[in-house]
Amino acid sequence: MSDIGLLQTALLLGLYVALAGAYGIVYAIARLQDASILHRTSLILYGLHGLTAIVIVAWAPLQVGWKVLIVASSGAFLAIPPITWRFLQQTHETEVQG
Amino acid sequence: MYRSQQLALKYLAAAVALFGVMTVAGLMSAYHYVNPDFLFGVLHFNIAKILHIDTLIIWLLMGFMGAIYWFLPEEFGRELVGIQAAEILFYVFCGAVGVVAIVFIVVQYGGGDETALWFINQGRKYVEAPRWAAIGVVVVMAVFAYNVLGTAYVTRKVTGITAVLMVDLVPLLVLYLDAFPAISNMSADLFWWWWLVHLWVEATWEVLIGCIMAWTLMQLLGTSRRIVELWLYIEVALVLGTGILGLGHHYFWIGTPNYWLTIGGLFSALEPLPLLGMVIHAVYDAGTHHMKTTNRPAFYWMMAEAFGNFLGGGVWGFMITLPQVNLYAHGTQWTVSHGHFAFWGAYACGVLSVVYLVIQKVRGLAHLEGTLWKWSFAALNVGLIGMVGALLVSGFAQAFVERAIGGSTHDAFVAGQENRWFVEGIVTRFIFGLMFAAGYVALVWDLLTIGRRAPVLATAGAAE
Repeated sequence: MSDIGLLQTALLLGLYVALAGAYGIVYAIARLQDASILHRTSLILYGLHGLTAIVIVAWAPLQVGWKVLIVASSGAFLAIPPITWRFLQQTHETEVQG
Repeated sequence: MYRSQQLALKYLAAAVALFGVMTVAGLMSAYHYVNPDFLFGVLHFNIAKILHIDTLIIWLLMGFMGAIYWFLPEEFGRELVGIQAAEILFYVFCGAVGVVAIVFIVVQYGGGDETALWFINQGRKYVEAPRWAAIGVVVVMAVFAYNVLGTAYVTRKVTGITAVLMVDLVPLLVLYLDAFPAISNMSADLFWWWWLVHLWVEATWEVLIGCIMAWTLMQLLGTSRRIVELWLYIEVALVLGTGILGLGHHYFWIGTPNYWLTIGGLFSALEPLPLLGMVIHAVYDAGTHHMKTTNRPAFYWMMAEAFGNFLGGGVWGFMITLPQVNLYAHGTQWTVSHGHFAFWGAYACGVLSVVYLVIQKVRGLAHLEGTLWKWSFAALNVGLIGMVGALLVSGFAQAFVERAIGGSTHDAFVAGQENRWFVEGIVTRFIFGLMFAAGYVALVWDLLTIGRRAPVLATAGAAE
């Protein structure tokens, strides 16, 4: 890994997780407020996360195994907010009905 | 109030006091970087750093114990078994911490012999306390475990949270025994030492704070027991599932087999996933309660915990966790930045949330509100973020100049330390450290005064 490549890769990895977190937070707020603009913003944020993943896969000097992990993690990051949200709603609704 | 809750108040007060010692020692360590001549020949960087790190461990541990002593009697519906022993050991614990601190400051170090190991310094990072004090910690933790397990046995009452807590007490106690071996082979020594440091911090402590936050959620937001227990099981399983083998990221460069590069990289790369789930959970709780609660300071600190954990552990950790990056980043200010952010987010914010919750109960307040807590919250968090940002810049410079360009030679080390970005980062860290210290002062003053003049209700509701 080159000297500049080190910093660029690390920053990309940090950005990758930060954008996943931003997507998750905005997704959750959008569900709370039922605001379409926030829904779109969350998708844009996930799109940027995906773009970062593509840049990492295409350009970063990481071994193939780690690039596969990046792609798989992107899938998980996409799924976690809606699954978590649905599960939270279900558990709370069951509680209210109970 | 139960006697164990009175003991909890003492533990929480001691924790907040040690938080202050940690802050002062941290400022001293930070200033040593700015001015290496500071206290030269009197108190060197290594001692200030030991005080900073060891008080970090102890204040958080005391915070956890205080929180658990507070919640447990309500959970069991009776006084804890063996509370008298716990009360005595609290003073022994505090006395031992004081003696160890004085030895560190006055004696500082000894020869490489048994006497030094038993009475001055064990020489192992994070657990430098001499062996007699380490044995004392084991006794305190054993009595703590007896309080919990004995009360559960007597009452024949085990809830989901106490079950998780009881299971967690076993590794909490057993792993600390790993503080004692003095293995001359450095690779073998580090291999087992990381079991203590990593598995305490990223496994058993995660479970402890999970239990504490479960109780806090129930009292602060009135969330039902069934929900918090369900989520406790899920989140503990996910955190342990990634955190235990995440241990491998400490085994990259200490002479262990190559397969640890894959195991450590893989499992620690998965660690941000459950943290994102926790953030979603926090937003859900905040949103469904419309950010309204009877105790805003506790609520805000709880929110800070979820976000800080994700940023410090998830984002900062992911930057350096893959072996190809970690090769250059480990042991630099970059990892220091990650460590500060992760500890703050994962644990410190949670303990401060409990402290405010307990204050509301003790002072019998229907609502806990004020102005000063906002200033302390802002100063502590902005100070912390400023520090970790500055350390990140210094760490970049170190990894870039010293490791990637210079190849980790001695000359490269010097070039890294003299690099302008490194130096400016270090100075900026100290300035934000001062802001953090100011936040601490505001916090203490707020804890002493908040709600003193507020209307008191005999039966303050836990949540709206």
